[in-house]
Amino acid sequence: MKLRLLLSLAVVAFAVTRAVSAQAFELGVVAFQMSSETHARVANAVEAAARKKGWDVVVLNSNGTLQTHAEQIENLVQSGVDGIVLAMSKPVEFDAQMQEVKDAGIPLITVMSGASPNALFDIQVNEYAVGSESALYLLGQLGYEGSILTDRFESNVGTRIRGKVLDVVLSENQAVKEVGSHSMARTKSWQEDVRNGMNALIMQNAGNFDGIWASFDGQAFIIDDLLKQQGMQKGDVVLVSTDGGPETFRRIKSPDSMLMATVAIPFEAMGEAAVDAMQKIAVDGAAKETITSGPYLYMQADLVDQSNVDDFIKE
Amino acid sequence: MRDFIAKYGTALAGLLVFVFLLVFARNFASTANLLNVLKQTSFLAILATGFTFALLTSELDLSFANLASLAAVVTGGLIAGGTFWGLAVVAGLGVATLGGLVNGLLVTGVKVPSLIATLGTAAIANGLTFMMTGGVAFVGRWDPMFLALARGELFGIPVLVIVMVAVVFSAWFVTRKTRLGTHMLATGEAQEAAHRAGIATRRMKLIGLTLSGFAAGIAAVLLVANLSSASPQMAGDYLLNGIAAVLLGMTMFEPGRPNIAGTFVGALIISVLANGLVLLGAPYYLQDIMLGVIVIASVSVSASVLKKAAFSV
Repeated sequence: MKLRLLLSLAVVAFAVTRAVSAQAFELGVVAFQMSSETHARVANAVEAAARKKGWDVVVLNSNGTLQTHAEQIENLVQSGVDGIVLAMSKPVEFDAQMQEVKDAGIPLITVMSGASPNALFDIQVNEYAVGSESALYLLGQLGYEGSILTDRFESNVGTRIRGKVLDVVLSENQAVKEVGSHSMARTKSWQEDVRNGMNALIMQNAGNFDGIWASFDGQAFIIDDLLKQQGMQKGDVVLVSTDGGPETFRRIKSPDSMLMATVAIPFEAMGEAAVDAMQKIAVDGAAKETITSGPYLYMQADLVDQSNVDDFIKE
Repeated sequence: MRDFIAKYGTALAGLLVFVFLLVFARNFASTANLLNVLKQTSFLAILATGFTFALLTSELDLSFANLASLAAVVTGGLIAGGTFWGLAVVAGLGVATLGGLVNGLLVTGVKVPSLIATLGTAAIANGLTFMMTGGVAFVGRWDPMFLALARGELFGIPVLVIVMVAVVFSAWFVTRKTRLGTHMLATGEAQEAAHRAGIATRRMKLIGLTLSGFAAGIAAVLLVANLSSASPQMAGDYLLNGIAAVLLGMTMFEPGRPNIAGTFVGALIISVLANGLVLLGAPYYLQDIMLGVIVIASVSVSASVLKKAAFSV
């Protein structure tokens, strides 16, 4: 008897919870790889901003696997969420799934993914501008001559563009030579990939490089630690990267770190912008064009070095 | 009663989960969602079916996910390079089958334990995928006929589901209704006795591991067609899920013994849970936790009746 009563209460409580939550706007968020700090920062910012509005949020992680990402988008469509935000997705690979989202009438906003005809727009920074800022900073610090090592990542459109822009800058400034390059290939075990690849490059080119260009900050942290293990000190080598974040700013300020500068991408602001846009379009009924007329909503990325890092740490 | 629970307890638990989701998970019961679950199960079920063949002969295949990734990259790379998709599919299937055959030869010919041999081929396959791609996926808007292999429908039923049913049924038929299946099972159950009875046990192991590779090839081709892209580690996530499906399968129908029906239901339970958790609004980390719980629970349940040497390492 007691058990029956308890079970009945549990069912009623569950049904009430579902009924209450069913009134709120439901947002589905899929991050391509939560083990990557930037993906997590976007997803967490979206979740926080949505919860602040009283929305229900389900955050999913694709573990860096294409099929898992596809399945999670499909599952969100089936669950009937009111809106979807994808962080660091791939519009070409997931063309079919994004089409399903559109066909289901669910507004879709992507962040740092690239434009898709099936999404409202993609929240981005101008990667060409970001790439030129970090490349020119590095060359400026070297006085436009010397040797550099690079750590690239070709699988992500943003990091690939940064690398291509670096190549353009180097082609115009031929007194700076790229004496070694590692290209990160693995997405699931990328830290190990960077550690092994860059360790070999640093050993092979010991004493023969003045700067290192990393395609994103996660790589730069590993490189920074490798350089410290080699006994290097701040100023021995100019290390630049892109992304920003508390750990990056701490290293830029630290007297022990080789990291000199980053181009800080406002991942948290991007997540918040996605939620704000979802509110305006999906809840308030505003036209997409009131937010951006094109396939992108661009946000500002700032170069951060010793001169202004305190401003960012304060934030 | 105890026998009934031992045989059908896991399947009943799965059924209870299914009923729970039917009642409480919004849209779970819709036809579109149930077909969606079946489609998502197909890749896992096919890969796990292959792994079951290897395990039937008491050998492990830890390379099936990497072989599938390699086959995917070969298929996608050839299509992206302009090769007719039919040939690319044959090449993908061929590469994965060859990988399985190499595993079999290493185990039966060179006498390398399957755990070590397949770990080695997994690493080689992984390296080859990166050598061929440089880490960059082959992506394209490919021939609709090829994409239809995964995205198409026949009489309203997704092709993926039809292929999965065909693979699982064929595997079940081979293992339960043919002499080959009987010999494979005998090899796995009591290798020495089977050998003395005149069964070519080494050949059975070779066939088991080769079939595991072949199944990886089928799953790879379907994955490429589903996403119109091929990237290294494309099937990487399926290693743990595949093992979990087979282990779960070993807790039902024929407790302690790998069996195709159990594997299929195991794969289905994993997919239903993944889908159901999303529909219930559960956070992403709960999916990983649930998978870990399933692996531990299924091994715990089957450990008391585990007859296979492979998992007693």
